[in-house]
This record gives sequence, C-alpha cells and structure tokens, in this order.
Amino acid sequence: MQHTDCALIMGANPAENHPISFRWLTKARENGGKIVSVDPRFTRTSSQADVYAPLRSGTDIAFLGGMINYTLQNNLFHKEYVAAYTNASFIVKGGYDFNDGLFSGYNAEKRAYDKTKWALETTPDGKPVKDPTLQNPRCVFQLMKKHYSRYDIDSVIAVTGTPKEDYLNVCKTFCGTGEVGKSGTIMYAMGTTQHTVGTQNVRSYVILQLLLGNIGIPGGGINAMRGESNVQGSTDFALLYDNLPGYLAAPKTLVPEHATLEGYLKIETPKTGYWSNKPKFVVSLLKAWYGKSATKDNEFGYQFLPKASGNYSHINLFKAMYDGKMDGAFLFGTNPVVGGPNAGKEKEALSKLKWLVAIDLWETETASFWQKEAGNNPSDIQTEVFLLPASASYEKEGSISNSSRWMQYRWKAINSRGEARPDLEVIHELALRLKNLYANSANPADKPFLALDWNFGSGDEVDIDLVAKEINGYDISKGKLMKTFGDLKDDGTTSSGNWIYSGFYPGEGMNLSKRRDSKDTGGENYLNWSFAWPANRRIIYNRASADPSGKPWSEKKAVIHWDALQNKWVGNDVPDFKAVTAPTAPGGTGAFMMNKDGVALLFAPTLNDGPFPEHYEPFESPVPNPFSSQQLNPAAVVIEGDFNKKGDKSQFPIVATNYRVSEHWQSGSMTRNQEWLSELVGHMFVEISEELAAEKGIKNKDQIIVSSARGEVKAYAMVTKRFKPFTIQGKKIHQIGMPWHFGYKGFVTGDTANRLTPHIGDANSFIPEYKAFLCNVRRAD
Amino acid sequence: MVEMNLSRRQFLKLSGAAAATLAVVELGFNEKKAYAQSKEFKIAKTKVTPTICCYCGVGCGILVHTNDKTVVYTEGDPDNPINEGKLCSKGTTIRQLYTSEKRLTKPLYRAPGSSKWEEKSWDWMLDTIAKRTKETRDASFKITENGFTVNRTEKIASLGGAALDNEETYLLAKLMRGLGVVYLEHQARI
Amino acid sequence: MTEYVKYVDVTKCDGCRACMVACKNWNDLPAEQTEFLGSVQSHKKTTADTWNVLQYIEHDNAKGNLEYLFRHSSCFHCTDAACEKVCPEHAISYTKYGTVVVDQDKCVGCGYCVNNCPFEIIALKEYKDKNGKEYRKAHKCTMCTDRLDEGLQPACVTTCHTGAMEFGNKTDMLKKAEQRVNEIKSRFPNANIYNPQGVGGTHTVYVLAERPSVYGLPENPKVPTSAVLWKDYAQPIGKMMLGATTMAVVGAYISNKIFNKEGKGHDEDGGGSHE
Repeated sequence: MQHTDCALIMGANPAENHPISFRWLTKARENGGKIVSVDPRFTRTSSQADVYAPLRSGTDIAFLGGMINYTLQNNLFHKEYVAAYTNASFIVKGGYDFNDGLFSGYNAEKRAYDKTKWALETTPDGKPVKDPTLQNPRCVFQLMKKHYSRYDIDSVIAVTGTPKEDYLNVCKTFCGTGEVGKSGTIMYAMGTTQHTVGTQNVRSYVILQLLLGNIGIPGGGINAMRGESNVQGSTDFALLYDNLPGYLAAPKTLVPEHATLEGYLKIETPKTGYWSNKPKFVVSLLKAWYGKSATKDNEFGYQFLPKASGNYSHINLFKAMYDGKMDGAFLFGTNPVVGGPNAGKEKEALSKLKWLVAIDLWETETASFWQKEAGNNPSDIQTEVFLLPASASYEKEGSISNSSRWMQYRWKAINSRGEARPDLEVIHELALRLKNLYANSANPADKPFLALDWNFGSGDEVDIDLVAKEINGYDISKGKLMKTFGDLKDDGTTSSGNWIYSGFYPGEGMNLSKRRDSKDTGGENYLNWSFAWPANRRIIYNRASADPSGKPWSEKKAVIHWDALQNKWVGNDVPDFKAVTAPTAPGGTGAFMMNKDGVALLFAPTLNDGPFPEHYEPFESPVPNPFSSQQLNPAAVVIEGDFNKKGDKSQFPIVATNYRVSEHWQSGSMTRNQEWLSELVGHMFVEISEELAAEKGIKNKDQIIVSSARGEVKAYAMVTKRFKPFTIQGKKIHQIGMPWHFGYKGFVTGDTANRLTPHIGDANSFIPEYKAFLCNVRRAD
Repeated sequence: MVEMNLSRRQFLKLSGAAAATLAVVELGFNEKKAYAQSKEFKIAKTKVTPTICCYCGVGCGILVHTNDKTVVYTEGDPDNPINEGKLCSKGTTIRQLYTSEKRLTKPLYRAPGSSKWEEKSWDWMLDTIAKRTKETRDASFKITENGFTVNRTEKIASLGGAALDNEETYLLAKLMRGLGVVYLEHQARI
Repeated sequence: MTEYVKYVDVTKCDGCRACMVACKNWNDLPAEQTEFLGSVQSHKKTTADTWNVLQYIEHDNAKGNLEYLFRHSSCFHCTDAACEKVCPEHAISYTKYGTVVVDQDKCVGCGYCVNNCPFEIIALKEYKDKNGKEYRKAHKCTMCTDRLDEGLQPACVTTCHTGAMEFGNKTDMLKKAEQRVNEIKSRFPNANIYNPQGVGGTHTVYVLAERPSVYGLPENPKVPTSAVLWKDYAQPIGKMMLGATTMAVVGAYISNKIFNKEGKGHDEDGGGSHE
C-alpha cells in the first residue's frame, strides 16, 4: 500500500476501523501518493484525504460505472494489459442481451437468471474465440463499453448526489493511474458489501482496476479490509454453509451430479487453470476428515458429508429459527441480537429454540436474550441456555490469518481467567463426549459421525500441534508432512485439512506461522515472517506485474520477471505462476492462473445478477431508479411478511446507514466490557446534518427517536457539518448514520441500531443490506 | 515456548525507536534519577509474550507483559512488520480483556423459564450439551432425500467463529460437518 | 544540556485515540464516566485521571470548506511553568529533560496550580484515606518521565501510528516543525508552530493546521503576572512570616481572589477557552 500513487477508499473508513492500515497510506502520501475518500459522511478518513466526494448510500455502482465510462471514453485504460490479461477480447454468444435493467434469461417468478444465456463463444476444442483488436461488436470490451456509455457524468451524479466538481476530481485523480508505471489501489469494507448489490459493487472495482492495469502490481489491487481478526481464516476454513475448507463447494442436492464423488468432481473441476487440480484437494480433505474410513471403495467417505437442500445463509437461518424449525444452536463468540440485521426479530427467533449454547468471554445480549433487560418476560421463554466462559486470545495459543493472508502465531501469555477455557478444548471435549455417546451404535444415521477421524492427543487433552499438522496434511504412505499442496494427490495417499494452507508445516518442528524474522527480504514482503497462503506468496496475481514478454511494466513497480538465463521467474516474491513456464510457452501469459483460460473477468457470466454490474436502488429507497424500470436488484431474494417489514418513503423519507467507530468493535461485547474504550465512546448517538436538525427542531445533544418499518431506537443527536443533504434528481434527500455497537450489557449501554435494519441480502453473498435503508427521526420529548 | 530471543534489555533497545535510542547515548538516560521515583519501573520484571491483535483483520503484533498474577501492560510489537510497534486505541487496550471485571469466569446455566443464571461445573455443562446435541440430531437426522444421500440435520445451527484461531475453526467445521450440521455460518456473512 | 520535546503534528493525526488509551495503560489510570458532548470528543478537557484528550473540531476554513481537525491535548511542560511557580510546597519541579512533574508525596492539593495553568491542563483528584478523611492531589501528564529514564519514549508517542507524534531533541524537532509548516501551507494557509514564548517555550510543541484559537488555545499565553508575584515575592515573605501550612490556606484565598479579578491570567491575551 505504501507504493501506491492513489488509494481510492470507498465503503470503508480505515482511519477509524483499520487504523494501522492507514499508517501505510500515510507513508504512500509521503512519496506523493494521493488519497481519495468517497463516503456519504465526512469521516476521520476523509479528513486525511486529498479528495473527498460524498455519495448517497447504495449508489456505488452508478458512481463506479461513471468512472469506468470515464476511463473508456478518455482512453485512460492500460490497453496491452487489458488485451492480454482479461477476457476483453473474448466473443460473447448471441444469447446475451441487456434491456431496461434486465439481462437476458430472466425468470421473474423465480427472480433468477438462466446464466447459460451469457455464454462465451468457444472453438470446437473448447478454447475461447477472441478478437485481440477488441473491435468486434460482440467482444466483451465493446459490450462493456456500450453498457457503461449510459453512465455519463450527469446521469451518475443525479443518482449519487455527488457535486459535479468533486466527482470529476475523483475521476481525474484515480483514473490517471492507468498510465504505465503508476498504480492505484482500492480499499473497501462493509460499506461496499452490505448491500443488495454488494457483490456487484466489488465487481465494479474489479472492472475498473483491470482496465487501469492495477491488479498484481505493488501499490495496486483491491483490498478488502477485514473487520475481524480471523474472518479470513474462518472463511478459509469454511464456517459458511456453502463451502468446505479451501474454497471447495459444499455438495448440494440442487446439483444432481453431486450425488456421487465422481459427479461432484466432474462438474466442479474446470478443465484449465489451477483449479483443474481440484480432485486432489477434495480427496485429501476427505482423507483428513475420515482417515481410514475414507477409501477408494466408499468414494473416500464423500457420502458421509452432509448435503444441502437449500440456502442456509444467515438470514435464512434466522428465518428457519423464527419459524420454529430449529431446536438448538451453538454460538462461538457472536452476538446477533446486536449485530444481526433486523435484530429485534433475531432476538425473537432465539426464543423458539429448545437449547442454546454460547461460548464467550462476556455475558452478551444474545446469551441473555431471555432477560427482563432484553424486554422479555423470562418465564415465557423455554429456551435452555448454556453459557461457557472462553479464554481470551492471549490465554491460549494458535494462529490467525489477516486480510493479507498472513498466518501469524499467538503464544500463550497467561493462564485463563477464572475457569475460562480455550474454544479448542471446548470443541474437542464436546466431540469426545459425542463420540462416547455414539460409540458402538449400529444405526445407519450414526455412521457418518462414527467415521469422523478424531485423533488429537490422548485422553481429554487436545494437542494443538496435531491439529496444525492435520491442516497441513501428510503423505500418508510415508508418514511425512506435506511440503506443498503441489504434491497432493487424488488417490487417497495424501491428506490435507485445508489445501490452501498445505506447506505451512513442511516438517517436524517447522510450523512456519511461528517465524519471527522481520528482515525485509525485498519489496517489503518479509518472506520469513510468519507464513502467507498460498505457498508463502505475498502479492497474488503478481505475474501481471510483468508484461506478456515477462518484463516488468515498470522497474519502479517490479515484482517478478522472466529470467531467460535461469529459465525461470524470479523476483522479490513467490511467483503466482508456474515458475518455469516461459512467457512464450503455452499459457505463458495466463496471469490469472486460478481462472479458467488464465484471464481475469471483465465479463463474469457466473454471478447470479448479471455479467456486468448494473445500478439498482436499495430495498428501501427514497427515489425511483432512473437507469431502468428495475427498482431493486432483480435477483435479490425478498422475504415478505412479518419477518421483514418494508418501509415506504412516504413514511420514512430519510436514508440511513450504520457504521463502526474506532473505539468500539462489532457488537461491542469486546469493547463495551473494556473500561478505557467505554469511556471514549460511552453513548449511542445518531449523526444528522445541521439542515435536517433545523427542519426537525433538533438541537445538538437532544435525545431523538429514529424509526424504521422494523423498530425504533432512542439516541443522542450529534448534529454535524460532516453530513450534508443530497440533491437527487433535483430533490433534497437527507441521510443520517449511526454506530451499531450498542446493546444492553457492558459498562456502557445504548439502543441497538440493527433493530432498524432489514432482512434482505445480496443476490450472490446474501450479506444483509445494513448500509442503506429508510427511516425517520423526531425529538424524543 | 515462544521463539522470541528477546531479553529485557534487548526489548528496551528495540522499542525505543531512533530518537530515544539516540537519546540514551547523548543523555545517559540510565544515570541516577534526578527526581524522586517511588515505584519500580513498571515492566522491569514482567514476562513478555508476543500475540496478534484480536480486533480487526490487519494483524498487528502486540506484546503482552505479565507477572504471576495478571497482565500489567500491552503495547505494539516493534518487530512485527505490519505495525512496527504501533497500535490503535483498541489494540492498546487488550490488557483489559484479562483484567475486566465483566469477564465470565464460570460456566452459567439458565433453565427453561428461569429468570436467573446458575453456576455449574464444566463437566455437567459439556455432558448436558452433548446430550442435547444427540437428542436433537437423532430426532431430525435425514439419511436420504429423494434418493440422494444427504446425511444431515437441519435442526442444529452453528454460528460465529471469526475470532477463533485457525486450528479452532478447523475443528469446529470438522465437528459440525461431521455431525451433519448444514446451518453453519459466521460473521463473514454479516 | 540537550532539551527534549514531544513534537505533535496535528495534521498527521487521524483521531484514533490510541494515545489516550496508551497513557491510561502505562500510567494505570482509571476510566471516567463521560457525558455526551455532542461530538466525537470524549472529555471536555484533561482531568486528573485523563492526562491527554483528543479534540475534534469541525471548522469551516477561509475557502468555506469543511476541515475536520484533531488535536492531542496534554501538558505543555512549559519552560516557565506557572504551576511550578505557584506551588507553595515545591511539589512541582522540572526534570533534567525539561519535563514538569508533580511529587505526590509533597502535594497538598491546594489547587493553585490548577488555577494558574494557562492551558487548563493540571487537575485535582479527590481521595479518601482509611479514616474517611478527604484529601486532594494534583495530577497531569508526566511525559512518562519514568520511561524516559529507561530510554523509552512516552507511551503516547510510542503507540502513535501516523507519525503525528515524535519525541526528540528540541532543535531537530523545531526544524522538523518548520519544514512541515512549509509543506502544508498550500493546504492549511494558517498553519503555524505552537511553542509559545510567553511561557518560555514548551516541551510539547505543535504544528497546528489553524490558528491556536480554533483549537481553544491562547494565542499568546503568559505566566500570569500574579503567579510571578506570588512565586518571587509574596510566597517567600509569607512563608517566612506564617509558616508553610498556614500560608497554603491564606494563599488559597489570596490567589483565587487576586487571580480571578485579573481575569484568569490567560484570557488577557484574547485566547478562547477549550471547547
């Protein structure tokens, strides 16, 4: 990040929420780099920016679509990069079309697309048909150009509400990084993803960055600022319904081929790109999980895996709970009564459970949802609650993975407070007890669990080293630890609990996440500090830092290059490429080796809501969508009824968003229970503009009520110059914002902002739309 | 256990950045104190253990200073290339994770309809939780659906885990999938 | 002897408040109940338990653009420290680094220092002894003098991630400040170095983005004339005549009376008060 010429910060507030990342931007600025902050509210990040532009919450695609158009119209894109490393030149089949906000293949009843309509032209042997001149009207480049020609500056700012001068300033400053030798980076967080179009917001970044040739080079890239210390690791390890460790698809009945391992591997494995090795990763995972019970004859235990028949994501999970379809739940350090969308409903849902297990450092609002303080009559609630005291991060040992995929070790500093115990022990002991309860069962339903290999030390003591080694994996026949995932096999002779991590523990006593050599090995990559997956690589897609012939685009921004004498790729990072594949060899320019055909996707026919990002209004919006007659993302799933009431602009004319502050974290359980942080931000507040305050007769520090279709919260008014009303299609639209950290437990308490937010998710990720909803405000007295 | 070869003295040198190191030479900072100081230097005898911050995903290094009884100080790890000894307000405060009077120190149980927590032993809690898990799983387990082997239960959910260690998330995913749990979600979704 | 200062470049601060927590963490200071102030700011000013406070100021600049200004506010460690001058018990003294510290054993909690600090930094804390008797002590930032003794920087400086704070010898830091002011003049035409000479210069030196009064700082603070009178004339004579303890009681009356009449010393130069 310190190498960047321009950082576009959008949907993120790193100065407040990821302060140390901001340290590196400060360094970039000393080298002449610029910071651009795009946010509905002037934040602490904006205060440090060279350029600030406001936008109405939920209009990112319009904003970015305009930047894409600006780049294309003014020829600012990096032509050679785009032609060589993206699918710009690929020809799209005739089935693709776009009309009035809808892509071809739409089924209104199902609110879903038939994605086969967006297929690419292929030669008889399956290779893409290309036009390297990018002139063919059916090539991706031309279709993209046409799509975004509608996003001219005036149309864009009529939707986003951004002052024209500010908008142009952003375009000029950031799109200038398309020049060869320059790099621009994008930093985003939940302000981008928590929308019904969240995934397409990120896709817009991808398109813009690919056009500018900003992926794979120092000071480039798209940085997701992760909000939790190990949300990277917990995602890698697949604590998500639709994944298995290492980004392998969880099998589901919706795909008939998933009925067998053979069918699963066939349909899930692409013919080209690195994922063509997928069977090795899947079989090695099955060997790690089912050990000796995984044999060639029983599909390596594939049938033991649970198969999904639906969408089990967060919102649906709580819907099922709310509808009384669930009996028990485990909560590992999570607090949905504060952090979940439409939190009032999530709290109600919990009371339908027979039992609830919460493992936490604190008595959270969720663990105590049955209490009077939560607005409940305890005698009405029949849920049995088990609250287990967990150890803090430095009262145990283990590794976590940061946003840059660095897997760093945490050592134990002190014995756990009181009777608290590490989660590792809790999970392990629970597993042992269940193994005991099921021992010797002949019931076919119990077979999968009995087959689960669980050997992490003798007796009750769990040996974390054995867990680490199982993740890394073994060459089973030799009894040796795997040195790299490149050696994994699909014949059952190797195991790995998570292939992307394989290689972090390449030999006895060599847990590389424990390395503490802080010497700069070049390019500030610190290759001997901890370990980064995959294969200790620090900058992914770094092949793209060199031109097709293997020469760095610019010496100043060099990472790896082709050394013709040594006949291999060399540089200051581990090549994200086959080290001996010459630029002239087949696939030698396939800079995005994880992707099919080795190219990055400007046109993505795999997403649920279209191959190009298109602007739609949020679920609740104060204005009609001028870009098309499709108001809401046509592929977003809408839950109707009592579980998710929808507000109308006539009653709730004000746009609202929520966010975090530097001094608190997530639902506040880790900060409102700390005195020093509680003191810094001790009160729930709502930020409103001076103009809105005047209209509503609200003075600074007044108590106010914010209401939405879902509920009301009481809070202090923070009247500020840092929010200004927007002019949208000639109309004045107000926006307010508030932190979502508060609840009724801890040293400092306050109303929970998420009682206001809706239960609707993104069309691809199902992440709830916390960041744009409608509300109204009034004085409390 | 910790592969950190830092004696106290080295640690001091490391954490005093350029200006202060320079000052040591020029001023002889360690000479007899010019004013009365009643307390022993706060971290003179503490054990130092490196950790990584438990808050956001940047991954800053932190040094935890402990004595026999408690955590006496937490500060940025000057060796960690991510933060070079610097921290934000949250990272600086992780000392209070240990010292906060709000920490849960005992397993607590709330019976159906009850208005209060009761203290219970770990054994009782884990035994009972295992029993409940089995009851629910057994009553809801589905082996096949329309001829498809599904081996799952839709009546148990597992939520959370973004603050767990990798090893813990691995065991959690393995256990839950092993039991047939499909409602498996965590904070990456919200 | 080389003089050392804490250099604070407020234009590099991003308002994260690690300095506030680091101070409490190092000095084992308790948290306080805070009221909602209508802004992000947590405390109106420094207190006996909160030795530095981050100020948040929304300021429309001369061009009419919004600036969101931050300032780490803590003891200035004046070269001519009014607190040191007025202390009847000689509890306040200068260290070899030029920092100003309070000897808690000597402090009797009379509060002259509080009344005379041109920056309203030092504050009293009330305690109860084991017999339930109340007594008071004055507290403020020590510049982590105990850390300086061990070759470490002040805790707030050590933790600051943006480079907004540095600790070093005065000549270097002042040079740095001058350079920085030149660098940022185009963005902040009113940028200035705050190292007021009316108190002999300070050991916390600022680069400010705007005029001192925007931050609630006196434009030209001075050691109050009354404090000079007190220290250099009245106190020695008084002590000779009455004995120290009695003098402290009488002195409290005199100092409040005289100094208040004079208009609180630091306001005479037209500086505003803290927001």
